[in-house]
Amino acid sequence: MRKLSKLLLTLTFALSITSSAFAVTVASWGGAYTESQKLGYGDPTAKALGIEINWVDYSGGLSEIKAQQEAGAVNWDIMDVFAMDTITGCDEGIFVEFDFDKDFPPAPDGTPASEDFFTSMPSKCAVGNILYSWNYAYNSENLANSPKTIKDFFNTKRFPGKRAIYKSALTNLEIALAADGVKMGKGGDFLYKKLEADGGVDRAIAKIKKLCTDPNGGCVFWSAGAQPPELLMSGEVVMATGWNGRFFNATIGEGAPIVQVWDGQGLDYEYFALVKGGPDEANAKKALAMMTNTEMLAGSAKYIAYAPWRKSSIAVMEAGEPWYKDGKTNMVPHMPTAPANLKKYFLVNADFWADNSAEIGEKWEAMKAGL
Amino acid sequence: MSSETQKILTTDGIPLEESLKKAERKNKIKAFLLVSPLLLYLLITYIFPIGDMFLRSIDDKMVTKMLPKTFIAMEKWDGNELPEEEVFEAFYLDYKILVKEKTFGKLATQLNYEKNGFKSILKKLARKQKKFTEGNYKEQIMKVHKRWANVDYWRAIKRRAPNYTYSKYLKGVDMYEDENGKIVQVEESRRVHKKLWMRTLEIAFFVTVFCFLMAYPIAHLLATLPMKYSNLLMICVLLPFWTSLLVRTASWMILLQQQGIVNDFFVWIGLVADENRPEMMYNKTGTYVAMTQILLPFMVLPLYSVMKTISPSLMRAGKSLGGTPFVAFWKIYFPLTIPGIGAGCLLVFILAIGYYITPALVGGASGTLISNQIAYHMKSTLDWSFASAMGLMLLLGVLAIYWVYNKLVGIDNIKLG
Repeated sequence: MRKLSKLLLTLTFALSITSSAFAVTVASWGGAYTESQKLGYGDPTAKALGIEINWVDYSGGLSEIKAQQEAGAVNWDIMDVFAMDTITGCDEGIFVEFDFDKDFPPAPDGTPASEDFFTSMPSKCAVGNILYSWNYAYNSENLANSPKTIKDFFNTKRFPGKRAIYKSALTNLEIALAADGVKMGKGGDFLYKKLEADGGVDRAIAKIKKLCTDPNGGCVFWSAGAQPPELLMSGEVVMATGWNGRFFNATIGEGAPIVQVWDGQGLDYEYFALVKGGPDEANAKKALAMMTNTEMLAGSAKYIAYAPWRKSSIAVMEAGEPWYKDGKTNMVPHMPTAPANLKKYFLVNADFWADNSAEIGEKWEAMKAGL
Repeated sequence: MSSETQKILTTDGIPLEESLKKAERKNKIKAFLLVSPLLLYLLITYIFPIGDMFLRSIDDKMVTKMLPKTFIAMEKWDGNELPEEEVFEAFYLDYKILVKEKTFGKLATQLNYEKNGFKSILKKLARKQKKFTEGNYKEQIMKVHKRWANVDYWRAIKRRAPNYTYSKYLKGVDMYEDENGKIVQVEESRRVHKKLWMRTLEIAFFVTVFCFLMAYPIAHLLATLPMKYSNLLMICVLLPFWTSLLVRTASWMILLQQQGIVNDFFVWIGLVADENRPEMMYNKTGTYVAMTQILLPFMVLPLYSVMKTISPSLMRAGKSLGGTPFVAFWKIYFPLTIPGIGAGCLLVFILAIGYYITPALVGGASGTLISNQIAYHMKSTLDWSFASAMGLMLLLGVLAIYWVYNKLVGIDNIKLG
């Protein structure tokens, strides 16, 4: 029985493959983000190498690639994934392991790739793409006072009104504890220690529940990156957590009165992973090496406020300011890694989430169902 | 037929009975060939996938195959205290192979469903085991991480020993089997599924009721108005039916949100204060409104097709025999529409119970249904066996409703047109 359904799946996938044969297919998150990738390094790479690069949208997670592999017909070559997924995907043999310095070119000054990237990779199958931030923002037309800290996000007395938060527990627990008075520690180390200790997760969830059930507060859960700026603009919520690049696009790109708060931001990384047994693995590997070189990574930051992973790319941007595509906005101060934005932050801990997301997910869903 | 009667023969000498049977058989084969594409289609698109889902939901061979020695060694272990050295040794030997084949990640994912924190300690063990010396594996493994000295983790491994398991079904109703084989509820802070099952039933039920209340008069009008008006009305019913589901859902979001058009209107006419705008979106109200509107045509159309066949003279006869309009309606018209009501209600209820995209968009936290939870396990936790189990439970629920309906009303009474 399983064989037959496999066969069917293979057939459907085979049909969809034939339409896109001999091209490298990259699965990414869509919207302004994929646009920045395509314009920033996708198209230039395709042109330089003389191959076709297709971009398809997906909404994250490994479910689709697992289904493709189970059917024995993979049709993605490269995926844009969270750290947690590179770990799981690497351990389960979904992605190709890299020989980092051999597979990726050094910086222009000769620094090997492994030293040019900000930190080491979470798994052998990952190559860094961007650094982005989970911060929060408000609509300055709808709030009399301006919130400054992560505690203000939870302060419904001074800032009454609903909040938009991410639909799953990821980063919500961290900011809840930080707002509850837990010291962050270096890069959020202390936060994660508290979360791993007994009762830590319950304490954080209780804090979120309090915010959501507060008659002066309340929660809207967002799932797509485009939602937080929208919810702020429509006045549906007074504050929203979100991805800094999306807020940046609303403010600078569209002139919306949205102000970002960087206090207590969660720095997170986005990675590329090479799918094992993709339709055009050899070309995909070449394309990936080129897309993640110094010039190319800096290119995407022309279109969105996410920081390129390579230190040398930041240098390229600084030398080329104003870097934003409008030709008048300096890009480096809008990066999550700009020193002014890094006063109080945590690094999203992929290992913690890979380990605990099952149980935390259950508690989180139970909390949401009880609202 | 008694043996004395002479057998009737056809002209070519074959008994009539046989000849008839032969002709019948031919017809039967023809009929079967005619429906065989449909049967094949059903087999491929329904029976196989559902069978596959069922197998997936109970199949636990993967872990059993990955740790064969461990489970043999564990047979003697009672599960009260930390297992003996031989279990540790067997586990080390099994695990060494998995690390070599690079499949230990799959084991980690599976065990992490059972107990939190397996992923990191298995990974650490994968790194450290390369330097293990022979003998005394218990101590060496326990030194890798303190969790390895926690009996709970070993119990979790033992729970995955059988080839088949129904634990996913228990999990679907917030229960689990504890160490002594007793079936108990999970702790309070993790109970979520029962609540969602009840909410799904509740929302599906009320959506069906609302649809019925709204569709009945519309369908009646459609069936009785003169052609030129009823055609226009029909278009009004069908137009939203032809519009994309997402467009309709998104329009409701624009209309009903707190700063939305409906609320603006309420404030403008002074019905509510500006600071006190009612919440009609991202909660149950939003789910009710959007789902009722989206499912309404599924109620209107079967009702209409049944009402169309009811002759208006019946009502007139009822009235002329002395009934008030209400009595005539209740005693004559209404019973005649029951097949349509049955079809419409069943259709709407079954569609509503598995509804996914609308609650996900407008439901917020309090308006999401069990199908959203299934999607969550499909996409986020990747626990497909659990998602399959819940999917099958939903299917069983629908079948149960169908059965009850059949007992109460009779399925032959349904009429879709």
